[in-house]
Amino acid sequence: MAQVILKNIVKNYGKLEVVHSINLDVAHNEFVVLVGPSGCGKSTTLRMIAGLESISGGEIIIGDNVVNNLPPRDRNISMVFQNYALYPHMTVRENLGFSLKIAKRDQTEIDKSVDEASKILSLEDYMDRKPGALSGGQRQRVAMGRAIVRHPDVFLFDEPLSNLDAKLRAQMRVEIKKLHQKIQTTIIYVTHDQVEAMTLADRIVIMRDGNIEQQGSPTQVFENPINTFVATFIGSPPMNLLPGRVGKNMLEFSGGLILPIPIDFKDIVKPGQDIILGFRADHIMPVGHDLTIDGDSAMIEMSVGVSEPLGTETLLYTQLAGQEILAKMLRPRIVQDGETLTFNLDLGQCNLFDAVTQRNLR
Amino acid sequence: MIYKKLPQWFLLILPAIIILAAVILIPLLFSLYSSFTSYRLTRPDTLFNWIGTFNYEKAVKSGVFWAAFGRTILFLTIALNLEMFLGLGLALLVSRVTRGQRMLRTIMMFPMMFSPVLVGFQFKFIFNDNVGLVNNALQSLGLSNSAIPWLVDEKLAMFSIIFAEVWMSTSVFAILILAGLFSIPQDPQEAAKVDGCTPWQSFRHITLPFIMPFIFIAMAIRSLDVARAYDIVQVMTNGGPARRTEILWTLIGRTGYVDAKMGYANAMGYVSIFLAIFFTIYFFKKLNAARVELGMAR
Amino acid sequence: MNINRLSKLKSFFLKVSHHVTLFIAMSIICIPGLWIVLNSFRPTVDIMAKPPVWVPRGLNLDNYRAMFGGAGEGGVPVMQYFTNSLIISCTSTIIALFVGMAGGYAFARFRFKGKNAIFVGLLLTRAVPGVALSLPLFIVMAKTGIIDTHFGLILVYVAMNVPFTIWLIDGFFRQIPPDLAEAAEIDGCTRWQAFWKVEFPVAKAGVASAGIFAFLTSWNEYALASQLTRSTFSKTMPVGLRDFTSEFTINWGGMCALAVLLIIPALILTFIVQKHLISGLTFGGVKG
Ligand SMILES: Nc1ncnc2c1ncn2[C@@H]1O[C@H](COP(=O)(O)OP(=O)(O)O)[C@@H](O)[C@H]1O
Ligand SMILES: [Mg+2]
Repeated sequence: MAQVILKNIVKNYGKLEVVHSINLDVAHNEFVVLVGPSGCGKSTTLRMIAGLESISGGEIIIGDNVVNNLPPRDRNISMVFQNYALYPHMTVRENLGFSLKIAKRDQTEIDKSVDEASKILSLEDYMDRKPGALSGGQRQRVAMGRAIVRHPDVFLFDEPLSNLDAKLRAQMRVEIKKLHQKIQTTIIYVTHDQVEAMTLADRIVIMRDGNIEQQGSPTQVFENPINTFVATFIGSPPMNLLPGRVGKNMLEFSGGLILPIPIDFKDIVKPGQDIILGFRADHIMPVGHDLTIDGDSAMIEMSVGVSEPLGTETLLYTQLAGQEILAKMLRPRIVQDGETLTFNLDLGQCNLFDAVTQRNLR
Repeated sequence: MIYKKLPQWFLLILPAIIILAAVILIPLLFSLYSSFTSYRLTRPDTLFNWIGTFNYEKAVKSGVFWAAFGRTILFLTIALNLEMFLGLGLALLVSRVTRGQRMLRTIMMFPMMFSPVLVGFQFKFIFNDNVGLVNNALQSLGLSNSAIPWLVDEKLAMFSIIFAEVWMSTSVFAILILAGLFSIPQDPQEAAKVDGCTPWQSFRHITLPFIMPFIFIAMAIRSLDVARAYDIVQVMTNGGPARRTEILWTLIGRTGYVDAKMGYANAMGYVSIFLAIFFTIYFFKKLNAARVELGMAR
Repeated sequence: MNINRLSKLKSFFLKVSHHVTLFIAMSIICIPGLWIVLNSFRPTVDIMAKPPVWVPRGLNLDNYRAMFGGAGEGGVPVMQYFTNSLIISCTSTIIALFVGMAGGYAFARFRFKGKNAIFVGLLLTRAVPGVALSLPLFIVMAKTGIIDTHFGLILVYVAMNVPFTIWLIDGFFRQIPPDLAEAAEIDGCTRWQAFWKVEFPVAKAGVASAGIFAFLTSWNEYALASQLTRSTFSKTMPVGLRDFTSEFTINWGGMCALAVLLIIPALILTFIVQKHLISGLTFGGVKG
């Protein structure tokens, strides 16, 4: 068990800088998820922590040691790869025991650790098969088993679930969560899937173009996105964004739409400022099909373009101030395309972003 | 129309079979027959003088034959193993280079383009005791004050020949192993690093099993045309001086063309053919085993 | 901090020894060839000089001039040899490629009984040593009257190259998924068209590297050519090297000049296709 600290970490590939001086503190036993669109430098960061890529600047500390130039084997970490990276010429048992064999542990200890790991991941029935004869989910579990037998200080995962189908992915997500509870180790987990990030993380770290945009607990980043990028990246469906302008004690949007300024932002905005209003589908619902709203709200009439019934709720695609807007309907009834409904917008849950910097004004 | 009935695959391999039968099988059958006669090139009528297995018995009883046989095996074992290890080393060295790798690869293939007979002359020149590069260098550097008889002394001559052969053929191994190294998936190697392997351990446990099939392919190819070494030996020493470097192929050539004893030469030729076939089949078996090991069998 | 220093030092040391070893290896590969090239430009007195002349001086084209010159001045019919070699190698390579493509395709695409046995059988014909084959071939060819002709040698080289060509090309077609040709057939091609329009272009790299190998084998072959060709009209370049040797002496300078001429075409060809060479050599890879 150990903390992981990145100080001003930079990575260059030749002249191209792909990670720009990032800072990150991961505490003991913390489950941190690095999330961001593909190509933003997540894998590179993770591989620098693992020692598979050299760092071009800064400092990496694992436990109490600076490990900048240490090879992976001296860092006491283990890693689960996106394509599993199983050794094709070894059986599952040999795959699991390989790292201990390399470390010259004695056979009884190896057998014990391997059995333990195979139980945790219910691999007992496949122990003498080779990876070629396993399904995707089984391979994934072997890869995880291989990582846990060593009792490393830090677990690194690089998109471990992205090759699985949706159902298996959901199932493995739960297993990873259970695994973390059972073995109590620091985990750094990379994914481009924000659902995985939201469900697994103690702390989410959102990256874009080699920078860390925001970090915080899943609720924090969900409710208070620091900018429009995080607002649209985290949460499904993404946050609705309406560009507008601050008028006299109100917000003006194209098409003559006028809304009150949310109370939290009253003292922050200046008249004439260009802003973007952000609100989630959960906070704009048809009257009679919504939740009770504590604070201010606004009534808006919109006609429904397309409706998408999902069972317990229905998604409504509508137009507002020239923008495509997504709203939600609880306790749904059948909605005709083109039907006009009155919606309740929960102003207390709205965010305002500066139109120029795209940053949250809060 | 008979050919309509023949399966397509057969029609496709038919040209290959016809040519190989005409150029290789028929002459071989002829030489098999003649190896049971006392056929001499100078006296055509001896072709019909059946003498049974006399030629084979003569070979088996001949000290010269066994000496050449033993030397051939020794030569093959040393040369093939050296080529493999050096080729492996060279491939690993080149594969670790990031900048200018293409140029190194091209240079590495250089000796493959050389005609074996040219390689023979080249090293005959370089190892020449009087004007050769090696002796000139040794003498100019003061490492030796007399001319070393590279191609006359038995041990030195064998060394020189093996050097020439290894120089020529190491690149075959290097290229095939390099192709193997490129085809290895990156992931398991990184996993091995994270699993705590030292560079040597990841090579031993991960890389080597992956390139084993390529090593065996190279071995099989090399044993297929290992007799190209004949050209080198023939030029460098022609088995001499005084049979000190006589190997099976030079012995066959001399017996057949110089002594004109075709029957006897063909009998020994058959021994050399079976030797080559044995080596080739052995490595093919190994190749398939290695493929199965990786779970990638046909 | 200390362990970091140590690791850094170690990797630096490894890097240096890597480069040094590489340099030595490359030198050993290059020097013999360069030695030949250098000596083709040196006058015989310098080649023979004792003590040796290290700094090249008086480099000239005399050896080349003599070689191309008349037979009287120690010249050899080098243009004739070159033409012979070129005709024989090119023709035999092209034929071997066609025969090999047909065979390789059959092995890669069809299932039939005894496939492996036939495959290994074909391949083993290549294992017959040239000397052992040259004796009976010599007699058979003498009987049929094609000894000492281009045709005879072309035939022999095609047979030499076909097994290897089949092996390489088989590996290539194996890597191409069969759906590709099937899709083309569904799109309205005949099997013949599907082959030439879809599969062949994909396998071109493999055919190219098979071609290189076939060409180099024919271009460089000596054991058979030295017995099966006698006259200027069919002798090939490698056999021509012998013209510079007499009973007791060797004209090193002249031989080096011919050697350079022998290497150049092989060199050019290899440079052209070297890109494909490595990828072409996987023999169907380990995928099988
Ligand atoms: N070996 C490399 N050479 C050059 N650029 C690279 C290399 N590896 C990754 N990159 C670049 O670095 C950026 C980040 O890559 P990566 O960390 O793999 O992204 P991801 O967040 O999808 O894991 C990408 O733009 C990628 O193109
Ligand atoms: Mg990635």
